[in-house]
Amino acid sequence: MLHFSASLTKLLGELKKLPGVGEKTALRLAFHLLKSPANVHALAESLVEVGSRVRFCSTCFGITEADPCHICTGDRDSALICVVEEPQDMLAIERSHSFKGRYHVLHGALSPLSGITPGQLKIRELMERLERGGCNEVILATNFTVEGEATALYLARLIKPLGIRITRLAHGIPLGSDLEYVDLATVQRAMEGRSEV
Amino acid sequence: MRTTECESIILGATDYGEADRLVTFFCHEHGKLRGVARGAKRSRQRFGGALEPFARLHLQVSLKEGLVRIQGADILTVFPGIRTDLGRIGCAGYACELVDRLLPEGGANPRLFRLLAAFLEFLDHSPYAESARRFFEINLLNILGYRPALEHCAGCGAGLAGLERLGFSATAGGILCRNCGTGSMPVTAATVTLLHRCLSTGRFGAVDFPPSALAEAGKLLDASIAIHLSRPLNSLVFLCELKEQAPGGSIQND
Repeated sequence: MLHFSASLTKLLGELKKLPGVGEKTALRLAFHLLKSPANVHALAESLVEVGSRVRFCSTCFGITEADPCHICTGDRDSALICVVEEPQDMLAIERSHSFKGRYHVLHGALSPLSGITPGQLKIRELMERLERGGCNEVILATNFTVEGEATALYLARLIKPLGIRITRLAHGIPLGSDLEYVDLATVQRAMEGRSEV
Repeated sequence: MRTTECESIILGATDYGEADRLVTFFCHEHGKLRGVARGAKRSRQRFGGALEPFARLHLQVSLKEGLVRIQGADILTVFPGIRTDLGRIGCAGYACELVDRLLPEGGANPRLFRLLAAFLEFLDHSPYAESARRFFEINLLNILGYRPALEHCAGCGAGLAGLERLGFSATAGGILCRNCGTGSMPVTAATVTLLHRCLSTGRFGAVDFPPSALAEAGKLLDASIAIHLSRPLNSLVFLCELKEQAPGGSIQND
């Protein structure tokens, strides 16, 4: 086993904690940083800044520096709430510029096999938000996995008595793809959810 | 290392590293196996949405010691009916987790594979029914050799014919007569008869438990399963929580 200085070993240890970073990648990143001291300072500063300034919005639980976030305080349609599993999903929808309402991030999805139950997600906070009124439609934008579907079904059951319109994202054949290469399950769903032209 | 194609049911899958999936699957030809699907999250073409819990598919695998390598998957069905109902999702998850926890790795068990496939098929086309879950459980215990003794007293070995009030003890291994069963869980002969019928009828939905028998059979089977598990099943905790929260204890979607 190779032995490095204490600080370099510590850096390698920290880098290896990142997703997708193993021994070799950590070494490559560490030596790259050592070659450019200016970059080291900039990176260190931004890491400290992120750690101290970025937090979750107390309304939508998305990532923000100001609480409530700019989406929750801006002039977006407050009658429309899009429910997503993770902050990354919120960013994906924002990138599409197709949604002008507000969000609610659950921070996970129900999972019968992993034992993730409603109490571990931001579901109580969503219900409190809806019970305060002002929302006409909830868009369930959880993933199309078993866990995402279970979460959407659970939320639909909770929200239904409030008389709010509940919708689910459409799913089917991806844009620009050939039908012959699309998997059977997606084709089945697309056929079930076909629409009139 | 040899590459083969086998019919399988996914028992569970978790993310592994950046783009891989670690999959536990029940293979008709080779029993329960664990494998890694490299790049499963990136390659929609090789795996699509196939590596999802309780999906039934043809897997192309490279068999070797330890983790097998999953090369590709062709979906037979993802049981779309199950995915429309929370109770059915919970129950299918429970069945898969139960098989995963009670079945050792390796060694084909085609009877158990057929039972699990038939249960998922039933759930795909029928609303969640507690009777079907109990039907699955008693047959699973029977196939794995864990079935509680139902024909004779597990304490003294005496026949139970003609006895109406009986007892049950999971540690004793089955039904007890009045003499041996003092202080044990009370069970009626009618419930034992229904459990027998579950074993002789090879079809889900054929045995319908009345509410009192369902409660008794439930306690008996829960205790018989719990004795073989080191910790509670995650999916059972999930199902119980759903029941507690649902109006009237029904976990079916409207």
